[in-house]
Amino acid sequence: MIESFQLAVIGAGPGGLKAANSAAELGVRTILIDSYPQPGGQYFMQPAGSFSATQLTKTEAEGQNLIQELKVKAVTTLVNTLVWGIFKEGSDTQWLVGLYGKEKPYYIRADHLILASGAYDSPVAFPGWTLPGVITCGAALILLKSQRMAPGTRVLVSGTGPLLLSVGAHLISAGVEDVTICEANHFLPKGLKYATTMLGQRKRLAEGIRYYWQILRTKTPYKIGWSVQAAIGSNKVEQAIISRLSPEGNPIEGSQIDLDVDLVVSGYSLTPNTGLVRMLGCEMKYQAEKGGWIPVRKETLETSREGVFCIGDGAAIGGAENAQLEGQIAAWQIAHRCGKISAITLHKKVTGIKPYLRKQQQFGRLYANLFTPPATISSLARDDTLLCRCEEVTLVDVKKAVAMGARTMGEVKMLTRTGMGNCQGRMCECSVSAAIVTALAAEKMRSDQVGYYSIRPPLHPLPSGFLAKAQIDDV
Amino acid sequence: MNRIKQKSSLIPSVERGKAILIEVDGQTITAYEGESLAAALLAAGISTFRISRKTLEPRGLYCGMGICYECLVMVDGVHAQRACITPVTAGMKVETCKEIEL
Repeated sequence: MIESFQLAVIGAGPGGLKAANSAAELGVRTILIDSYPQPGGQYFMQPAGSFSATQLTKTEAEGQNLIQELKVKAVTTLVNTLVWGIFKEGSDTQWLVGLYGKEKPYYIRADHLILASGAYDSPVAFPGWTLPGVITCGAALILLKSQRMAPGTRVLVSGTGPLLLSVGAHLISAGVEDVTICEANHFLPKGLKYATTMLGQRKRLAEGIRYYWQILRTKTPYKIGWSVQAAIGSNKVEQAIISRLSPEGNPIEGSQIDLDVDLVVSGYSLTPNTGLVRMLGCEMKYQAEKGGWIPVRKETLETSREGVFCIGDGAAIGGAENAQLEGQIAAWQIAHRCGKISAITLHKKVTGIKPYLRKQQQFGRLYANLFTPPATISSLARDDTLLCRCEEVTLVDVKKAVAMGARTMGEVKMLTRTGMGNCQGRMCECSVSAAIVTALAAEKMRSDQVGYYSIRPPLHPLPSGFLAKAQIDDV
Repeated sequence: MNRIKQKSSLIPSVERGKAILIEVDGQTITAYEGESLAAALLAAGISTFRISRKTLEPRGLYCGMGICYECLVMVDGVHAQRACITPVTAGMKVETCKEIEL
């Protein structure tokens, strides 16, 4: 027997946790699934399991409360479990969700889905970015906050957005004395016009001030309008070249500085993790300021496929608070469809949090206007720079494919194997897309015309014996 | 890479899990329960986890969250395990730079 639920929430970050708790509270039979060992996602990341913390940070404690609530609200929670495929065939009324974990279940069924798969650092290809010692902001924060490790001793943090401040402040707190931060966007003075928006964001402001204080206190260089150009080293990073950028984002001749480093942290804003929505065939749209390709959603946060809701950073970059509000809205919609609350109650509930959501959307606009990576950042890659790390495809390989007539992501994939490796295109999609757009600049090619990689099950590589073992009639 | 000893308001102190031994390429290294294999390797000074197939270049941790597949190592004879999301266990046998031919 395959166990059946009214709602499956995929991803246990801020949005997923809130969605699962809100739905279960109203009596919706809910399962929450996450591929990591602990719920919380990146934002509510907890100290590693088996570590005992005598004291939690405010964010860790906030996450811990939501995690504890899962038990109280009787949410079935599966961790260490990857959703590798979601299916609905013929006359099926429910979604069949394929799971890969250490043990059974191999499948569950659900009437509704909330996809809350979060986001990852937008991978930017620059010479040397494949060297050991070049990591993303996400990797650095996991090592610092969850593993309690200082990942380097002489560190360059380069990218855009408030996450750089968080990484910088955590490195400093971990005792790293040599930190340089390069922010690629010239966000001053145009950021000043958002002063009133920021004043309405008390929590974010307080967090930002805490981080910035660490940076000021230690006189850590925070270079606005600068970016990494290259990482150099034989077996690992030994040097990084940084450069001042023009307002358009192009490196200014003669401004290059060489830094001796053993770690480069790269964080050029975030890309929504849209593998599952693509696999389900949901209609997508391109919005650079929301992180690239994102699902088209109704006001109810439902995608173009009935019963499939998508929330949080996995749907459009908006932050943890926004994700939690969206999680509530989607959960309430589903509770209404399951007959747990009336249309009037639903309307009241949604209206009640609208002002908070609007505030988050205001911040979203600020973030998008100030911290969308400059389009020119893709020009950091040289002809021999790998764009696709898995299949080892360089920029010049992609240019050749375009010269042969390829015009879309799919066509370049067929000719060069970009996006066909283990990561299934997550690491190269934005660079390959930009390379095609640049190569076809004379035709005014746009990112939305170039398209995106299609995703088919399994969402992640699986051991070959697993699918044979996980037969439906065997469950 | 170092295990953080000092405590601060951003990173309060924790008690690591039990000290355990794992074997990496024939060498014994100390790790602590709760650590990811990637963190334990980096703390032992090992930053190259695999060699890329075509250009034979060193690769290591990149995304740190299980999506880029750059940190693949062999664990207890099973190839292509992501070090970043594999927790260490006592007696674990790890081989780096040893991808099998497919």
